[in-house]
Amino acid sequence: MTPPASTGSLPPDERQQIDARLLQRVAQGDKLAFGELYDRFSGPLLGAAQQILRDSAEAQDVVHDAFVTLWEKAATFEVSRGSAFSWVVTLVRNRAIDRVRMRRRRAEILAESLPADLGYADAATESAGSESAALGDDARAVRAAVATLPVEQKRALELAFFGGLTQEEIARKLSEPLGTVKARIRRGLLKLRESLSLRP
Amino acid sequence: MIDEHHEELASLYVFDLLEGAELAQFEQALARDPALRALVATLRETAAAVAHTAPTVQPPASLKHRVLASIEALEQSTAAPDNVIRPSPTVFRMGQLIPWTAAAGLALCSVWLGSRYLATRVESDLLRKEQKLTELTLTSSRQQLEAERIIAGRQLQEAQKQIASTGKQLETTLAQVTAQDQLLAEARAQTTERDRLVAEARTQLTTREREIATLTQRIDIFTGATEEIGRKLGEAQQQVALLTSELKSQGDLADFKITALASLLKNSPQALAVAVWDPSKQEGVLKVEKLPALLANQDYQLWIVDPQYLNPVDGGVFTVDPTTGERRMKFKAKQPVGAVNAFAVTLERKGGVPKAEGPFVLLGK
Repeated sequence: MTPPASTGSLPPDERQQIDARLLQRVAQGDKLAFGELYDRFSGPLLGAAQQILRDSAEAQDVVHDAFVTLWEKAATFEVSRGSAFSWVVTLVRNRAIDRVRMRRRRAEILAESLPADLGYADAATESAGSESAALGDDARAVRAAVATLPVEQKRALELAFFGGLTQEEIARKLSEPLGTVKARIRRGLLKLRESLSLRP
Repeated sequence: MIDEHHEELASLYVFDLLEGAELAQFEQALARDPALRALVATLRETAAAVAHTAPTVQPPASLKHRVLASIEALEQSTAAPDNVIRPSPTVFRMGQLIPWTAAAGLALCSVWLGSRYLATRVESDLLRKEQKLTELTLTSSRQQLEAERIIAGRQLQEAQKQIASTGKQLETTLAQVTAQDQLLAEARAQTTERDRLVAEARTQLTTREREIATLTQRIDIFTGATEEIGRKLGEAQQQVALLTSELKSQGDLADFKITALASLLKNSPQALAVAVWDPSKQEGVLKVEKLPALLANQDYQLWIVDPQYLNPVDGGVFTVDPTTGERRMKFKAKQPVGAVNAFAVTLERKGGVPKAEGPFVLLGK
């Protein structure tokens, strides 16, 4: 799941192996490997952080902190637990969501400031069009796969990933029963996994 | 085989959507079940891929420089203690010692200066970080204040709405109270009116009871009067018989019209009259009894009802004895009479009238 730099045309598994090897070199203090990983990951990471935070400066801070953590903790990364990209995405997402939650002390504010209304759907539509030429293979593949999902599953996944909401808040946001929302997240994620051929 | 429930929990888990006891139970299951761990690993990869759906952002070059500078500073802060060069234990001769000592002194100075430089740089980085942290805290506080301001503003708006709503409710309640007061006043007025009507009805009832008593008395009187009339009628018939016999003695009575007239007066029910008409002579005899006394400007007037005329034919006026109400007289018709259907006596003004105007006193067919 890495954006292509010089390895854009490689199969996903091979790109993950390259990422893992780069991360191992980073763990040994290799700044060149760190720079290469930065080039491969920073674009999608900054996009995700900005989508969650809706603030460019804060998104850059979060990505900066995540890469510093990556430098410090690279030795703790275990290949068996997942790809390097998903590890760093988790770092970025957790930090960004922490900031979003810090912003919103009250549920009322939460309900207003987050949302659909901030334009996830629009952003996804835009990205599928004008920016497609600049995307890597992974991003194109993921967007194509997400586009095949039913709208309600897609919306549930977007809120689960970018929203920084609890299960109940997502259900309220979508005006659906909690059980329905859980089922949509499950079905959407399994279908996306199948589309991306990420079976165990 | 992983059931749907655990698939659902795993899906929520990779988005950090499990909390509390649910999270603890799932992590226990995860520790026990390798298949579940494998599922979570693939779902985590899938969830991470969702990051690609965000609009692509080209990171500014300054960000990379900032990241590299940070790890450089980190590296130097951790590497600095290792750079300290310790003096070699090698023994030198005195002649060589001075330059070596000077060199060692310079080296030590350089090392010390270098370490001070690195320490200062690290401190500077730390200060920058602290500054950033302070800025973040300040931004967060501002956002919190803004959030609280918005909430306070909303609460104020809600309170104002509630006050306005309460005011409206109060107005409505006052209007209802006023309306109820009016209804109460109307109900009281109606009650008073009904009381009055009941009192009137009771008065009327009493009056009616009195009237019934009076009428009962009158009926008794009338009953007595009827008996008297019957008796008088018997007397009149006797008189008729007597008159008839008298007339018979004078001529043929076959064509005579003989009529007993009964009273139509409520105040003189016992009044009575007998009329005998001789068509051949166009004259007759009238005898009345117990007619009420007349005023000075009044006369009784006899009328002969002949079907050939639209109005009864005038039979002349007469008066009665004021004390007995009796009178016996002969009369003539003012117009030729063919057949007599009835005789009538009316109360008219003095001298009589061409057509009957006053009330009927006696009538007989």
